[in-house]
Amino acid sequence: MTETNRNRLMLLIAIVMAAIYLFPLYWMYITALKSGSEMFATPPTFWPSVPQWSTYAFVWESRGMGRYLWNSLIIASGAVVLITVLGVGCAYVLARYRNGWVDIGLFLILMLQVLPASLMITPIFVGFSQLGMLDYPRLAVIIAIAAKSMPFFVVLVRATFMAVPMELEEAALVDGNSRVGAFFHIVLPLARNGILVSAILIFMQAFGEFVYSKSIIQDIELQPASVGLNSFMGPNTNEWNNIMAYATIYVTPILAIFVLLQRRIVSGLTSGAIK
Amino acid sequence: MPHSPSSGPSGRLLPAGERLNRMADAPSSISSRKGLPAAQAPGNPVRDVGGPIKRLLSSVRDGRGFDIVLVAFPLGFLFLMAGLPLLYNVLMSFQEVDMFSLGTLMRPFVGLKNYRDLFAQPETLPILANTAIFVAGSIAGQFLIGFGLALFFWVNFPGASWLRGLFLVSWVMPGLVVGAIWNWILSGDFGVLNFILREGGVISGNIFWRSDPNYSLYAVILANIWLGTAFNMILLSVGLSGIPADLYEAAELDGANAWQRFWTITLPMMRSTIGAIIALGLIFTLQQFDLFAAITSGGPNNSSNVTQYWAWEQSFRQYAFAKGATISVLMIIFVMIASVVYVRSTRHEVRG
Repeated sequence: MTETNRNRLMLLIAIVMAAIYLFPLYWMYITALKSGSEMFATPPTFWPSVPQWSTYAFVWESRGMGRYLWNSLIIASGAVVLITVLGVGCAYVLARYRNGWVDIGLFLILMLQVLPASLMITPIFVGFSQLGMLDYPRLAVIIAIAAKSMPFFVVLVRATFMAVPMELEEAALVDGNSRVGAFFHIVLPLARNGILVSAILIFMQAFGEFVYSKSIIQDIELQPASVGLNSFMGPNTNEWNNIMAYATIYVTPILAIFVLLQRRIVSGLTSGAIK
Repeated sequence: MPHSPSSGPSGRLLPAGERLNRMADAPSSISSRKGLPAAQAPGNPVRDVGGPIKRLLSSVRDGRGFDIVLVAFPLGFLFLMAGLPLLYNVLMSFQEVDMFSLGTLMRPFVGLKNYRDLFAQPETLPILANTAIFVAGSIAGQFLIGFGLALFFWVNFPGASWLRGLFLVSWVMPGLVVGAIWNWILSGDFGVLNFILREGGVISGNIFWRSDPNYSLYAVILANIWLGTAFNMILLSVGLSGIPADLYEAAELDGANAWQRFWTITLPMMRSTIGAIIALGLIFTLQQFDLFAAITSGGPNNSSNVTQYWAWEQSFRQYAFAKGATISVLMIIFVMIASVVYVRSTRHEVRG
């Protein structure tokens, strides 16, 4: 078998495997386009006979998706801003020095990264209710998400700072820059891409966050799309085409960002988690 | 990926960091420079005209203070929002907490009563067993499928890395959406999975994945395997690409076949990566909550309930906050043990 033929065969097998793996995603998009009766047909159709494009508008209107997505956007953006402002400097210092304190700090941060949100929500909820934070539920969720996701961000961004050559910063200091000046003019611009990718990963995580929002935000006007989807799926629901249309509207922007930035996201992810 | 302490970035960074400190500290105040201790001696007035506040500001702008400020705020924030809740959780697990005492800090202490009550409950042991099955099943599935895919994509062909990255969509999607999709795929009468299994001759009658107590836990495991396989595969690919190619060339010259090469080179070389990934899988699996909320809600009759969902259910469905805290404390201790394993197996990489 020649090299080209082997490559073609491998590519073909890879595409088939990817197709099988991504079938659930395909099923979501297809179900959203089916009519109420076609959805329950036996055998199921793998291509909608008459695509029902109007389902999207109907679900958007009837479920008030604009409001849900807006809340998701506020929560995710707030969490990303808070995490970035606090986390970048922390990652920088943890990347620049190595001594016992840095090791302890890193160890504590890695430990915090592993605490399951559904277990931490009990003390956070009780504490927040005592502090009166539940009156600002979205802010409370932003803070809780920031505490949950910042360790992950710090680990990723630290890997980026490790790749910035020390000599450049030193040269800037010799040239008369202050530490602040060197940090903002030399180090940050060099680490910009890594920070951006990590921030996008955090954004995607926060955009789909569920446990904290479900537990803290009682007011339906302030709930994000994940909680909206949860309340859409009652125990005996049969509106699967509408639910899948909701899911489609919810995840398509995330998937689009991911496919566009795939290479960077994958490399940023692997540099932090293993290296 | 072995790192000897004297080579690589770690050996280079240490002296560089010290050099940086000295340089950075030098302009901030003369008295702080080593070798001039006389300037700090009592009776010898400090020649710094700015006073302590100005010195502090200049240190923040141009010295050690800069680093301390950068680290103090995030660590303080993490302590307040993650460390304190952790301690508060332990406190609550020894207290009696109800809706009326929710607002106070000093509630009646009950000693180990919450823990005793927990283990006296009939559903505790089945739920712990479910958690073990969920963790073992999910990790086994994610790891084996992920490893198989990683080995396949390791053979470099055009488009391999792009297609491999595409698998990660399962990981970036919100857990609740993944749960919703699988809820529909696993539906009893009209689910497409039952249709495929029927056509394939695997089953003769429909399996009621979500409502049959024998299957409900496996329904969630199935969805969780799908969700986590891609992440395992990507990390395993990174590990595979770190194995030096000449090892395989040498083995091939010695006449080792593919199977022998896998057992004698690939697996031993991947040992630390595999350890890290399994520990990471344990951590992620114990964090899985959304799939339970979206597929079975722990039901029917707790047959698919696991501790991380049960703890939330106790606090936010039954309003038994003390019980929720008690379950949390036990699980968090367990997760922390797992994370020590993870940190240890990535130790040289973490230290760079």
